[in-house]
Amino acid sequence: MKRILLAVFGILALAFATLTPAFAQSKGVVYYMVPTLLDEFQTGSVSALELFLKQTGYEMKTLNADNKTDAQQSQMNDVIALKPAAIILAAVDFNALKPSIEAARAAGIPVVEFDRQITSTPSDFTSVAGTVEIGYVAADQAEKLLKAKNGSVKGKVLQVLGDPGDPYTLDIQKGFEEKMKAFPDVKIISLPAMQWEASNAGTIVADQMLANPDIDLIFSHAAHLSVAAVASLEAAGKKPGDVMLMSSNGAPVGLDLIRKGWLNVEVEQPLYAQAAAVAMFMDKVVKKQEIKPGEYDVLGLKSTVTKETWGPNIKIPGAAITKENVDNPAFWGNQKPPTDTVKSVE
Amino acid sequence: MNPRTRHALEFVLDNLVWFMLLFVLVVFSIFIPNYFQLGIFANIIEASSVLGVMSIGLALVIIAGHMDLSVESVAALSAMAVGILFCSSGIGMGVQLHPEWLMVPVSLLLALAVGGLIGAFNGYLVVKVKMSAFIITLASYIWVRGLVLVISGGRSAQDLAPAIRWFGIQRLIGLPLTAWIAIACFVVFSLIMAKTPFGRHLVMIGGNETATFRAGIRVNRNLIIAFVLAGAIAGLAGWLLAIRTSGASANLGTGFLFNAFAAVVIGGVSLKGGVGTLPGVYAGVLLLSAINTAINLMGLPANFTLVIHGLLVLAAVLLDAFKQTIRQRLA
Repeated sequence: MKRILLAVFGILALAFATLTPAFAQSKGVVYYMVPTLLDEFQTGSVSALELFLKQTGYEMKTLNADNKTDAQQSQMNDVIALKPAAIILAAVDFNALKPSIEAARAAGIPVVEFDRQITSTPSDFTSVAGTVEIGYVAADQAEKLLKAKNGSVKGKVLQVLGDPGDPYTLDIQKGFEEKMKAFPDVKIISLPAMQWEASNAGTIVADQMLANPDIDLIFSHAAHLSVAAVASLEAAGKKPGDVMLMSSNGAPVGLDLIRKGWLNVEVEQPLYAQAAAVAMFMDKVVKKQEIKPGEYDVLGLKSTVTKETWGPNIKIPGAAITKENVDNPAFWGNQKPPTDTVKSVE
Repeated sequence: MNPRTRHALEFVLDNLVWFMLLFVLVVFSIFIPNYFQLGIFANIIEASSVLGVMSIGLALVIIAGHMDLSVESVAALSAMAVGILFCSSGIGMGVQLHPEWLMVPVSLLLALAVGGLIGAFNGYLVVKVKMSAFIITLASYIWVRGLVLVISGGRSAQDLAPAIRWFGIQRLIGLPLTAWIAIACFVVFSLIMAKTPFGRHLVMIGGNETATFRAGIRVNRNLIIAFVLAGAIAGLAGWLLAIRTSGASANLGTGFLFNAFAAVVIGGVSLKGGVGTLPGVYAGVLLLSAINTAINLMGLPANFTLVIHGLLVLAAVLLDAFKQTIRQRLA
């Protein structure tokens, strides 16, 4: 027993020694509160933010909430006590983190919202692609695909949501369905893949293809769900192109599916640009300087900063990835981070 | 009550979960459009294959009077290990073996070995170091999922080698081979539990560990074997999961543990140990899968899915409790 305990503590001590980075001179430490690391977008966001913030002189530390609101609230409380230069928050729950944001700002720590917009309380800066807007872009693509297949915008769409407790997927659904209302001949069947788990999505697709064999288009709210959807279609004897597929977030697996001909469209979240925008404005955020509204160039994407009731907000448009543009290195799913250095906005 | 009625009643009670399954299938077939078709029934069996296999290992440990909360994470780690080695996209290394069919036994052995090792680790700490199975396997549930995240870096492996993926595509009498693997597992382990000294000893240990020890049965050895088996079977579930989704993502299998527990309990295994059979567990798994399929086909608002799922499971467990009451009256 003693030996086991000694071995465990030894391993832990070694791990801490190896994983703790050496102290580096920087403009300050910024904490990134990532909601989970169980999906590729979030993992990618950590490395992208780290890369760009380093270029603008900041050291970044990441805390993973493991998709738990209460864990993220506790993390926020802990980080406030550490008095960092700023906090970047991608909230697990948009509303539940409101008191934590207010507490941080009351303690003089600026808070930047990343990827997940919180409108119920002011923050110092917000960088989003807009989840509702992703739904809009997806609806535009669905319109095109259905029209090309059926001659007019009609048919049956299976929408595979993520976890119904995640506002991210609910917002995409809201945007998608809001725009699709204009087409009464399109029937949308929406079902959740609990906990964003791929095999749940596979089961939904397998069941629905039997119950509704006339489904024209499957829209999954994440690329990894499309992988399982494709596996189910393949098991049912379908070939690429038999059923149209679309997903959102632009993960590498989605881009691979486009190359293989299974996926028609992937609506990208511009991860690199979203992260670069945070780094570009970090000096202003930390120094509490005014961020002027207007058009900005973020990694070649035209982005708009607006003054909202919840603070300055930059919205970077998500792009539709198809077979024609899938190899564009600007898409984060191609895993080629920009080589140009990000500079702080003067 | 005459002996024939009593015998019939006992038969119904012994197989109540199968009757519940039949009842549920009939009701769903009548009231849910498109439910009644062979393809849907095949889907129910296919969708239950991973959960079914995972439930076997869990049931073995519970029947032996212990607990294994790590099975879900073990399955995910095995799936990720297979995915990383044998997938060709994402983080997959695209390892090729010649002849190609070799990839099947190698990937299977890898999955079983990963699971078996973690099972042995759990078993050693529970049986030899006398630590609580609940705590040890809860810790494993957490650190093993963490290991999945570490080795994958949060990314996914996609495009499993066709030789392995073949099991998910090929069908025998309308069912994918993965479903047949699950059925075969249930048959083999049901026989082991019913016909071998090991199976009978596990039930005895779960019923009364001290008495079993005093009867000269090697309790520790049997318990460690049960934990190793639970781990290895979870590894097999992970292998099936990778086949089913043609790869592995870091959150693969999330939530399976609670469904496996529900299936085991609905299947008549007592959480106190010493009671339960594997055919009952399989019926429990099929029942859950039938309910999931019904929810999928009904197209209910997403927010209600978990509530309905939970209530139906509760109803099944209450029915099981009712069964115990009747059985006591019969005794």
